[in-house]
Amino acid sequence: MAVTSSMRGLRRGRALAAYVVLAVLAVWTLGPLYWMVTTSFKTNREVYGTSATLWPRQPTLANYRVLFTKTPFAVYFQNSTLIALATTAVTVLTSAFGAYALVRLRFPGRRFLARGLVYTYLVPQSLLFIPLFTILVNTGLSNTRTGLVLTYLGFTVPFCTWLLMGYFVSVPVELEEAGLVDGCSRLGVLFRIVMPVTLPALAVTAFFSFTLSWNEYLYASVFVSDVNAKTIPTGIPSFIIEDVFFWGPMMASTVLSVIPPLAVYFIFQRWLLTGLTLGAVKG
Amino acid sequence: MTPSRWDRLKNDQMVLAALFLLPTLLVLLSVVVYPFLSAVWISFQAKQAGTPGQFIGVQNYAELLGNPVFLQIVGNTIFYTAVAVAIKFTLGLLAALVLAPERRLNGLYRTVLFVPWAVPTVIAALNWRWVYDEFSGMLNNVLLALGLTKNVVAWLAEPQLAMWCVIAVAVWTGTPFYTMSFLAGLQAIPKELYEAARLDGASTLQEFRHVTVPGMQAIFLVTVMLSTVFTSTSLVIVNVLTNGAPAERTNILPNFSFNLAMGTGRLGIASAVNMIFFPLLILVILGLSRRLLAARAS
Repeated sequence: MAVTSSMRGLRRGRALAAYVVLAVLAVWTLGPLYWMVTTSFKTNREVYGTSATLWPRQPTLANYRVLFTKTPFAVYFQNSTLIALATTAVTVLTSAFGAYALVRLRFPGRRFLARGLVYTYLVPQSLLFIPLFTILVNTGLSNTRTGLVLTYLGFTVPFCTWLLMGYFVSVPVELEEAGLVDGCSRLGVLFRIVMPVTLPALAVTAFFSFTLSWNEYLYASVFVSDVNAKTIPTGIPSFIIEDVFFWGPMMASTVLSVIPPLAVYFIFQRWLLTGLTLGAVKG
Repeated sequence: MTPSRWDRLKNDQMVLAALFLLPTLLVLLSVVVYPFLSAVWISFQAKQAGTPGQFIGVQNYAELLGNPVFLQIVGNTIFYTAVAVAIKFTLGLLAALVLAPERRLNGLYRTVLFVPWAVPTVIAALNWRWVYDEFSGMLNNVLLALGLTKNVVAWLAEPQLAMWCVIAVAVWTGTPFYTMSFLAGLQAIPKELYEAARLDGASTLQEFRHVTVPGMQAIFLVTVMLSTVFTSTSLVIVNVLTNGAPAERTNILPNFSFNLAMGTGRLGIASAVNMIFFPLLILVILGLSRRLLAARAS
């Protein structure tokens, strides 16, 4: 009896320690976001200086109004959305074809290609932006949204192909053979058998492509200087004018920019853990 | 009925493979492989943006290695990466261990702790810059309100503090990736191992040492290596928070290279900056790819 009660005490102690750790981590995680959201609803008086408040006493939408009437934020938002959607669509299709070939078709150089994929995925963007800049200028693709989509494929495709290979392998070969016997072409097998059963994997691929291109900063700031092609990550910092920060509108813009990736994250959340064991992208 | 030539061709594996892989290969060759080779070549050139380059051998490399500022930035990069990775690892493991058991509210905490991962890094960096703000930022406001300090602190301008503040942001954005990987890894350890350890009378610490750690080794390695590559080569946080100030104290190589290329237009030497660091990265990448491929094979 004494043993069980001490065990229970231990378990309770552990649970308590766990809650303390979680509480601290939650405060650390949510603190900055709290500051971002509350600032976006404050009047200038409450944002700056000695009258600064920790909570908006007179909540206002003025910062959001400034964003849409005085800055090109709407343009940036539209560009980011279009670029992220285009990158996602092209990536999912390209990677599905590539991954299927690498997993199921026999051809010389297959292993070499699979290995090459990992290497290309790991080549850092900071190494590629200089030559890519020259290439885009020479092909007339700098300052265009197409140029950004094409360069983003350079990191989304290797990663997503790699990810999909892992899922495609797990589709029973018998299922595909049955399809082939029934007169399906390989293309039919891919679209009617493999892709439907690996839908969660395709969702993960879509999620990664979307968030990666939505977040991309380096390429966007090097390849695009024209306001009409700018995306959110490079557009928002350009609200800083000569070292003067308009924190109210700036925080309003960050709040709005976090919504799409967060929404996508909440939708795809349950599939992400499996996708991530294969190694994700940030960190 | 004999299948027509087109049908046979359509199902010929070689032809199909070529067709299926064509888009992938086009992408990889045009926006990764060719630019990479080109970057190597440019690093041996005196090349100003918009003009054709001129081969100058290893002069760019010699200039960099003779520049004390560059050497300082190499040191910064190593420090920044090592410390950020170590802290992310510790916090991520702690969070994963605490989140792994089915407990009340753990689902909610999981969602909350993963949020920074969905926040674009630029946004996170801007957000933190505002938190650190000397006169109106949250950090100083809270510290003043709690009476923990009497004078405001210029977090990002203080030479002793700036790098730590930058690292804190890297930790904030990067920890969820560790938590997620480690959670997935913990779930993959067979429950029987823990039961056996408990029957043998192992303490919590022994359990961790002899069951958890060996079971997680592969995940630890892959996570740390991936994170090392991405932490050391991503410039967003530094670029937005401090751009290297004060006095290059927080500058790291990718940001230095970016400023050289975009500020002075010296593309040759900017390329060389990244190349010098690359051999170190290659070691990490080689180890990593071997791990990933081995994991895939098993």
